[in-house]
Amino acid sequence: MTTLERQFAQTVAEHKSTIYTVCYMFSQDADEVNDLFQEVLVNLWKGFESFEHRSDIRTWIYRVALNTCISLDRKKKRAAEVRLTMDINLFEDRDEDTKQVDMLHKRISKLQPFDRAIVLLWLENLPYEEIGQIVGITAKNVSVRLFRIREQLKNMSND
Amino acid sequence: MNNEFENNMNETQFEDMRQQLNTLKKKLGEQEIVNDHLMRRSMRNQVNKINHRYNIIMALCVLMIPYGYWCFVVLCHLSLAFWIGTSIFMLVCGAATFYTSRKISDPGLMSHNLIEARRKVASAKKFEANWLLFGIPAVILWFCWFVYEIYQIQGGDFNNGFFWGGCIGAIIGAFCGIKMHFKTQREYQDIIDQIEDLTKE
Repeated sequence: MTTLERQFAQTVAEHKSTIYTVCYMFSQDADEVNDLFQEVLVNLWKGFESFEHRSDIRTWIYRVALNTCISLDRKKKRAAEVRLTMDINLFEDRDEDTKQVDMLHKRISKLQPFDRAIVLLWLENLPYEEIGQIVGITAKNVSVRLFRIREQLKNMSND
Repeated sequence: MNNEFENNMNETQFEDMRQQLNTLKKKLGEQEIVNDHLMRRSMRNQVNKINHRYNIIMALCVLMIPYGYWCFVVLCHLSLAFWIGTSIFMLVCGAATFYTSRKISDPGLMSHNLIEARRKVASAKKFEANWLLFGIPAVILWFCWFVYEIYQIQGGDFNNGFFWGGCIGAIIGAFCGIKMHFKTQREYQDIIDQIEDLTKE
């Protein structure tokens, strides 16, 4: 393993929860999470060498993960024969914690992809400025958007 | 500003969501990546596959020229002009495919902000859709030329059947292509609308 590969493996290990969370929120089943996770890693690897640390690595990882999940052509989905990501199935496990996580997934997955990204970043406690940098809009727009998302989520809970 | 938003919303509902996200993070934090070695191998394969795709497109385009000469000119005795026309068409198709794939697979693309990346992907998809508007008539034209060339050599019933079979195929192909074009255009417009909605102050 080269030094770059070692650095990459360490970065992935440190941020695996973040990457997996994004993939999970944009997936409908366990295979899709697995596929997305691998696709995100491929894109992170492709950009890792040229990543210039001008932005925080967490911001960069969010960008790559969210971009991959939003832009990936789902028709090209590959059926994974071996689970390579994590030994967890949030779509089938039935313990109390997973039920809670599933409630969050159900709410978030009803939103449009960009809104899903914004609310996810907000739930991660990122400041509006950073959310704006990741999405490519102003902090003011983030605030406006979050207001609309709030209305949508409220309507969902009223349904 | 975060507080401004939080004050205006159903606090409990969003606190629940944050709690649920923390539960998820905690669950994931306890996990290890399964089969790290296989994962790296799979990633490397995927990166290689993308590069191979370009090489295959280029190789097919280049190989089509001598193969076309052998097939059309030597074997079927079609005209040199037809072979040259076919070769040019193949090269243009190859270049267009290469251009679109390259745009979408740009290693830096996913590092842009979401809006910029989405715009670039959408523009590449739009190019792909517009390409059909040229590709479909060009294929029909090429096919007519092909039938004409065959007719010049053989004539008769075989070509009649060949012509009508080809026409039906071309109509079905054109219909599917146009349908696909409009579907992609709609998807593209949908993305643009979402971006405009997000960026307006």
